[in-house]
Amino acid sequence: MAERTLYESYGGFSQVSKIVLSFYDSLLDNDEIGPFFDDVDMSRIVDHQTKFIASLLGGPAAYTDKQLQQLHAHLDITDAHFDELETLLRETLLGHGMASDDVETVVAEFGKRRPLIVR
Amino acid sequence: MTIEAINEQLLRAIGVGVALLDRKTLQFGFCNDTFDEWFGGENQPTQLQQLFPELDVQAMSENLIGTGRHTSEIRFKKKRRTLVIALDFTVAEGDMLVLVCQNITRIKELESMIDSYSMMVERNTREIKREKEQVEKLLLNIMPRSVYEEYKTFGVVTPQMYDPVSVLMLDFVGFTDMVASQDPSVTVTELNDIYSAFDRIGEQFGCERIKTIGDAYITVAGLPDPTPDHSKAIANTAIRFVRYLMRRNLSHPHQWRCRIGISTGSVVGSVVGIQKYVYDIFGPAVNLASRLQEFSEPMQITVQDAVAHTIKDQFDIENVGARSIRGFGEQDIWRLSDND
Repeated sequence: MAERTLYESYGGFSQVSKIVLSFYDSLLDNDEIGPFFDDVDMSRIVDHQTKFIASLLGGPAAYTDKQLQQLHAHLDITDAHFDELETLLRETLLGHGMASDDVETVVAEFGKRRPLIVR
Repeated sequence: MTIEAINEQLLRAIGVGVALLDRKTLQFGFCNDTFDEWFGGENQPTQLQQLFPELDVQAMSENLIGTGRHTSEIRFKKKRRTLVIALDFTVAEGDMLVLVCQNITRIKELESMIDSYSMMVERNTREIKREKEQVEKLLLNIMPRSVYEEYKTFGVVTPQMYDPVSVLMLDFVGFTDMVASQDPSVTVTELNDIYSAFDRIGEQFGCERIKTIGDAYITVAGLPDPTPDHSKAIANTAIRFVRYLMRRNLSHPHQWRCRIGISTGSVVGSVVGIQKYVYDIFGPAVNLASRLQEFSEPMQITVQDAVAHTIKDQFDIENVGARSIRGFGEQDIWRLSDND
């Protein structure tokens, strides 16, 4: 039997969907990162965040490194932006009652993508 | 405070946008706080079409005449967030229109999320299905379908006796030298072509290929389903194997020559092993076919006495006398030829 993913142990889609929505909210309210989404269609942002959270938690989505690189290639993302998103992610997960060592696992997983995203 | 005043306070404070319009001019007469919060601001237009340019006024007036109601939906950005508001117009007394606006942004966001999620799940389901089919295909390559069904249902396969069956054992002449003297990958590629052709030929006559061990190829007729003319089927297969190789040799630089032995009897078929399981058959008929094959000259087919008696009316077959066969004593052996 394969090890349970965080996605499964935190209640699958029905719970993760709540994390996604509040992450979506804080992302758009954030004036550092929000502007990246100024001209993006709502359903695309939601789609993106759903896959983003699902893939970090081991859910039914996975981006290859190459896909991540291509998706962010046209954006001027700095280390500061990446740090800010990391903070938002950590706050959101903790806000939804995720254990802090699990949060750090997710954040570490997120951190591995930095070289693919940051210019 | 009068009842009217309380009503107005309530109307202003609820989380639903409410506005009153003149039905003819579509000018706003009253807007509550929620409405102003969504659509207000400086220089707020006082006319409906100016506020919602994308609203289809033509369709609206038709609906209002027909049913007294009209619903629509508008999207706009507040800061960078897309708000989706459902509009509901109702005709009221005195040529007034009541406009009720509900914020359905969250519902739309959830819809998008469900779309996104279900697409991921559906894609994964398709992938799992594809993988399952591949596994099944792989397993069907190493065991007969009926055995596979048993394995799938019970997780184990009970050894089963098949009696009678006919066994064909084929071995290539000088294969070891061929591998040593030529590019092994070329040799193996050709071997793969030949085995694939053998599989197709066997299939035509209802034979089940059991396994290949290096350059030895074993196929059986009468398994897993009993076949009354299993000997005939295996003889036909053997003749076509030789015929196929002869024709292939005409157009290929590498000459493939085989020896074939055919025997009949009972075998036990089962899956052997746990992790690296293979389907295999056991029984004297298997060993005998292997021994008989050794009596063949290149491109010849040697047949067990018992098989020969069953098929001699239908095939070109000749007795070559008694031979001492290791483990089986002395037996007459026969040579099967292609009479075409």
